[in-house]
Amino acid sequence: MAQSNDYVMERKPKEKKPETPSKIKVSNWRQFKAIIRKDIVMEMRTKEMITSMGLYALLVLVIYYIALSQAGQGFDFTRIAAGLLFLAIIFTSLLGLNRSLVHEQDQGCLEALLLAPIDRPIIFLGKAVGNFIFLCIVEVFIVPIFYFLFLGGGALAQSGPWWMLVVAILVGSVGIAGAGTLMATMSVNTRGKDFILAVMFVPVMFPLLLIIVTAMTSVIVANPGYVASFWQQIAGAVVFDVVMVGVGYVLYDFVLGA
Amino acid sequence: MSEEIKQEMAVEVRDLSRTFGARKALNKVSFDLPKGAFLSIFGPNGAGKSTLLRVLSTLTPPASGSQVKVCGLDVVKEDFELRERIGIISHNPLLYPDLSAEENLRFFAELYCLDNPEERIDELLEAVELKHRRMDLARTFSRGMTQRLSIARALLPNPDIIFLDEPYSGLDPHAMDILDSLIDKVREGHTFIMVSHDLQKGLQLCSHALILANGQKVFFDERANINEEEFARLYRETVGMGVS
Repeated sequence: MAQSNDYVMERKPKEKKPETPSKIKVSNWRQFKAIIRKDIVMEMRTKEMITSMGLYALLVLVIYYIALSQAGQGFDFTRIAAGLLFLAIIFTSLLGLNRSLVHEQDQGCLEALLLAPIDRPIIFLGKAVGNFIFLCIVEVFIVPIFYFLFLGGGALAQSGPWWMLVVAILVGSVGIAGAGTLMATMSVNTRGKDFILAVMFVPVMFPLLLIIVTAMTSVIVANPGYVASFWQQIAGAVVFDVVMVGVGYVLYDFVLGA
Repeated sequence: MSEEIKQEMAVEVRDLSRTFGARKALNKVSFDLPKGAFLSIFGPNGAGKSTLLRVLSTLTPPASGSQVKVCGLDVVKEDFELRERIGIISHNPLLYPDLSAEENLRFFAELYCLDNPEERIDELLEAVELKHRRMDLARTFSRGMTQRLSIARALLPNPDIIFLDEPYSGLDPHAMDILDSLIDKVREGHTFIMVSHDLQKGLQLCSHALILANGQKVFFDERANINEEEFARLYRETVGMGVS
């Protein structure tokens, strides 16, 4: 019966749209800005995400420091520094990603968003950009701390320019925010959302982790030809970012509906 | 003739079904509601009341074969346009607790791309008697005040249809009176659909009544044709629960 109904619906000529002109002129840009502004105002007021992410990152760095304290004088930290730093950033981002969607669920706010005449991809972009900004704020604190703990005392004397490291971290953060926002939305309605997000998010981050760590290590170690190698890796990371943001943009409506 | 009647309808529901897994939340429900009407939906927990509201408000898609139009717009094909025309007041406030009353309304005004948001926000805060608390965080509000702010949020885009999902739940008598008077103020020109467990309150407000049980329409008629005692008896018999 249902099948025959479907068939009839498909065969029907398209109904003429009723005479109901739009009451408002929807501006995606205005809605996008509103979501980002709202997230920033709320975060600056509560500092929930930044505080929890910052403290967690600090703890991870301290644990690294203690764990590596017996490595000895001859141990070359420059070889593993990029991996340690980006791993800390990925784990730290998990906390923020979870919070960013959980507070949308408080008191049904996500439903209120969905009831507004807003394209779902705009919600995705707004939330992803918000997550990117908060991650960058935390990175501003943890990267210098990481430098003083592990790379101080002239360890970077022979390395490439510092701005290349910043570029790598920023490109990596875009991928984290894009993929993470999509997955946090997928997991937000599940029972063990923290666990589910980690299980989905970390494997997806493997390629980005590898690319960014390779790029950063090439700058830190600064072997001959490192500049070309760096940009090659960054191009790969940009492709990853574009794919993740693109997938999020296209699938967000489906993910919210599911 | 039929075309004229159709244009007067705020809601047209034909064979509306919706399943969640094996459970039929709604099973071939049909009814029409004229513009400007106030429909009260009654039924026990799990009857399909909230699912009906979610389908009408585009939050949940109906099963294929269902034909649901609100304000003449298909809830599936024209959901975006429809969302400009609906407002929801729920027992859940749908507000950000860490934003002030004004910030909450400004955020939603931006989402609805209102032309003069400040003017509209002032007007609504005045109407819900929260102008003096406009800078206070929503989390500091009492249940009644939160509900009033929630009403202001729902009325921001001046919707044609207002959905009320158990709006009186958890309100003290004073807050209920305020909600009554607010509904009274905006009743003209708007269509209301309210889900309620309170038979007395629902019948007091409505122009039409609908009883759902096990996802099916048990009763639908105009208030003028309803005898309260018979309706209460029917409600008890079909729903199998006491009447508040």
